[in-house]
Amino acid sequence: MAIEIPKTPYSGKVREIKVGKGEKAITVGGENSYPFYLFEGTMTHKPRIAMEILDSPPQEWPQAAIEPFADVINDPVAWAKKCIHTYGAEMIAIQMVSTDPNGTNRGADEAAAVVKKVADAIDVPLIVWGTANHEKDTQVLTRVCEVCQDKRLIIGPVEEKDYKKIAAAAIGYKQTVVASSPIDINLAKQLNILLGNIGVADDMILMDPTVSSIGYGMEYCYSVMERMRMASLTQQDEKLQVPIICNLGKEVWKSKEVHLPDNENNMGNAKNRGIMMEAMSAMAMLLAGGDIIIMRHPEAIKLIKEMIADLTVA
Amino acid sequence: MALTGIQIFKLLPKTNCGKCGIPTCLAFAMNLAAGKAELSACPFVTEEAKAQLAEASAPPIHPVTIGTGATAFKVGGETVMFRHEKKFENPTAIAVLITDSMSDAEVTNRVDNFNKYTYERVGLKLRANAVAIKSISGDPSKFGTLVEKVAKATDGALILMSDNPDVLATGLKICSSRKPLIYAATKANAETVAKLAKENSCPLVVKGSSLEEIAELTGILNKTGVNDIVIDSGSRTVKQALQDQIIIRGSALQKKFRLLGFPTITFPCEMTNNPMKEALIASMFIAKYAGIIVLSDLQGEVLFPLVVERLNIFTDPQRPLATTPGIYEIGNPNENSPLLITTNFSLTYFIVSGEIETSKVPSYLLVMDTEGLSVMTAWAAGKFVADLIATFIKKSGIEGKIKHHKLIIPGYSASESGGLEEELKGWEIMVGPREGSHIPAYLRNLKA
Amino acid sequence: MILIGENLNIISSTIGPALKSFNAKPIQELAIAETKAGMDYLEINIGPARKDGDKLMEWVVKTVQEVTDKPLSLDTTNPIAMEAGLKVHKSRALINSISLVRMEEELPFVNKYNCDFIGLLWGRDGMPRDVNERGAIAAELLYTANEKGIPNNKIWFDPIVTPAVNIESNQVRHCLEFLSMLQDIAPEAGSVVGLSNVSNGAPTHLRAYLNRTYLMMLMKYNIHAAIVDAFDNELLDIARGRKPQLVKLVQSIMAGEKIDLASVSTEEAKYVKTARVLLGEILYSHSWLEN
Repeated sequence: MAIEIPKTPYSGKVREIKVGKGEKAITVGGENSYPFYLFEGTMTHKPRIAMEILDSPPQEWPQAAIEPFADVINDPVAWAKKCIHTYGAEMIAIQMVSTDPNGTNRGADEAAAVVKKVADAIDVPLIVWGTANHEKDTQVLTRVCEVCQDKRLIIGPVEEKDYKKIAAAAIGYKQTVVASSPIDINLAKQLNILLGNIGVADDMILMDPTVSSIGYGMEYCYSVMERMRMASLTQQDEKLQVPIICNLGKEVWKSKEVHLPDNENNMGNAKNRGIMMEAMSAMAMLLAGGDIIIMRHPEAIKLIKEMIADLTVA
Repeated sequence: MALTGIQIFKLLPKTNCGKCGIPTCLAFAMNLAAGKAELSACPFVTEEAKAQLAEASAPPIHPVTIGTGATAFKVGGETVMFRHEKKFENPTAIAVLITDSMSDAEVTNRVDNFNKYTYERVGLKLRANAVAIKSISGDPSKFGTLVEKVAKATDGALILMSDNPDVLATGLKICSSRKPLIYAATKANAETVAKLAKENSCPLVVKGSSLEEIAELTGILNKTGVNDIVIDSGSRTVKQALQDQIIIRGSALQKKFRLLGFPTITFPCEMTNNPMKEALIASMFIAKYAGIIVLSDLQGEVLFPLVVERLNIFTDPQRPLATTPGIYEIGNPNENSPLLITTNFSLTYFIVSGEIETSKVPSYLLVMDTEGLSVMTAWAAGKFVADLIATFIKKSGIEGKIKHHKLIIPGYSASESGGLEEELKGWEIMVGPREGSHIPAYLRNLKA
Repeated sequence: MILIGENLNIISSTIGPALKSFNAKPIQELAIAETKAGMDYLEINIGPARKDGDKLMEWVVKTVQEVTDKPLSLDTTNPIAMEAGLKVHKSRALINSISLVRMEEELPFVNKYNCDFIGLLWGRDGMPRDVNERGAIAAELLYTANEKGIPNNKIWFDPIVTPAVNIESNQVRHCLEFLSMLQDIAPEAGSVVGLSNVSNGAPTHLRAYLNRTYLMMLMKYNIHAAIVDAFDNELLDIARGRKPQLVKLVQSIMAGEKIDLASVSTEEAKYVKTARVLLGEILYSHSWLEN
């Protein structure tokens, strides 16, 4: 009995983007089929997991998330190093929470100095993520671009309302930008076009569709990402042939359910529940087309990396 | 190719008798085309038309019902590869494995967890669906005892698992009235097991070592009149099993290949020894096309995220979920606690209530019925506007719970604040933040 | 094709305040201008008008009828306001609109005041998701109207298009397909669209391209009426058959023809790109004409 295996009519591929410098530089993208449809195409570069650190001690993390980093949580440099040397991180993402105008509102110079210290101390690619406050991100991220000249950082989020200055700094100091749009494929495409119009090279853009945890609208970003992949791979939509980055960990670990104690509402062990919510959310993002996932808990990351290995085994 | 409503209409008797519950044949035809009516409701349709319609309207993936009564569930019936195209129809069923080599205590514990672990979300009850009872020993009487025990302990749907038709027959004798899923017909036993399925009118799993072999088997079974089939592709590696799911769904939908047009069953429990990895594999199968997943054990910390993921993936993308309107108390509020209002789009509710929780400021949250629309959309549609909000507040009973008259409205509804002050005499209307993530800071400032 | 001028609308920054203050001048000026522009009907949209809507509708119908003889299309979700407008309307008015939700209340107006109505295909669970759901809603609306003695030719079905910006549910194809079935479902019934809805959310200066292209696509299915911007001259040319080449171009894209952008003028290329967006062949973005 011959099986009629359907073939997706692919006509495009996701761009390859190199981030970081030296031996530990990483290239993402390059896939020419839907995620893990390896009977139809290839994923030139496997999806990568970036480990998240904060630029200041976390305020509202549940115990399960703090525990693996308890000894380094006051020192971003030590924290980043522990992620790399103890947990095998291939990329680091520093969340600039201290700069939030609704919080401690740390100034741009001081914040950029912290990033510089981390960038100098590690050799893996570094993602720097602001607070999505347009004015403040413009100050902080442009300064980061400058003091970390030639570090080949990934800088985000760059949004429709603040892209001009941040992107200009990124062009000037050779950093890659994350084009961030609010779960809307039209706006995502539009922002990529706008960035191209002001001179950001195609190979210096990643895109962030805005992601959320299981239970908090995950299905919306899941479908937007699937649409992005469909457009880029089957409709030759060049403006969407951009690797996707998902800043996921922080979304999962702020949800109500990871903060509930053990066995509350039949939800079992609190630590494992948080790990599972993070790993399953990441699994969904990978299946929808994520190329880089920013995650928090080392055990969730370990599980997800095993899945990526299993799914791409030769 | 599915028929249009007009094509269907031409095959109907055009009596407009209304016996189908729909006043005209035209309306009935349109509802048939939209999948909102069943042809069997028409008493006058000719056999010839029936055959023609059945052939044309047979779903590309056959829907299979497993179990009976309130816990029965349907798998299959899917029509698309991607959920943005049209909703995924029948949520992946979750089953827990019980074997005849487990201790009595273990069996009891697993069935108890299966019964007990249920979760409420957006007014829905989320839970695992089935117990898979597997014979390891091959001993029919041992299996029979176990089936009896499990059937008594739960009203959940059942899956009976053995390679040995005698073992399956023993199990069926005990619980065939519960319409269990029989696992499995293979190349070696297909004829005997198919007979069991037919005699007991139960659905049946076909297991093969390749998709070719499976298609051959389903073809043979179809000829003997067995149609309620679930496929086990036999793969137990993550990569191959995922590919099988994609190819099975794709060939049924895109190639209209009927012999693979059935829902699938998958076994994360046989793919790893790590329960958390197993759950992660299961989460992959929920997104990518499994009809049933069998887990080795149910723990709250893995079942909860799985059933919520399932709810998300199987939500109709064109019909957002709505949550129950009313007063929500967050963090034991008292008569002086802040009062916020939002709409009943479920995502809005989850985000707003989650952020209030994060703020650690005990509060009341009023959730108003806006037919599941978000704040901005509801406002634009005239469903979240001053006079309606005022009416809702007065009827909600919140005034009996608080001493103050201050209402925090969403930032996106700022333009309604004037109208609200007019409609709600004596109330102070405060405009909250536009984004949920700014709620904690807002509430803390309020308190300070 | 019957053209209905959309401009007299409560959301307009000049008309809104005029309606609220019963100021006749801007309203009458607009009505005269729309009449001069060649509109067959004038739309009067007073919004939900929950408070004193009857007074407002009665006043605005009288005010407009003082300066034009064109029939009016009355748009409000308040049935009391609707009836107040119909009572004072002189010729054969158009009710915009009646859907399943309020049909028991509003269908009786149709014969009582001898008017036509727009049968809005809005379902009980909201927006129809495909052509079949549109068909089912249309059949029910049709049956109920016929039961009340309303003939098919008094019904103008509106299949409801979603904005092109909202690609998550591009309904253009479903709407076109519905129109192709309409004469089988309801012989002699009319069809109508709120044309500008297709461009909702797009940059203001580019909206006309979406509106015009969609109209050309609808013309392939003999659309009976459209609610349009009375002052888009290019659109009026298209509707009145003065742009046959352009219409042919757009309809050839619908038929699957691949158009080489180099072979057409810069202006034509914009319509080609727009047609591809509406047909879902390329993804909408605000810069769809540039890329």
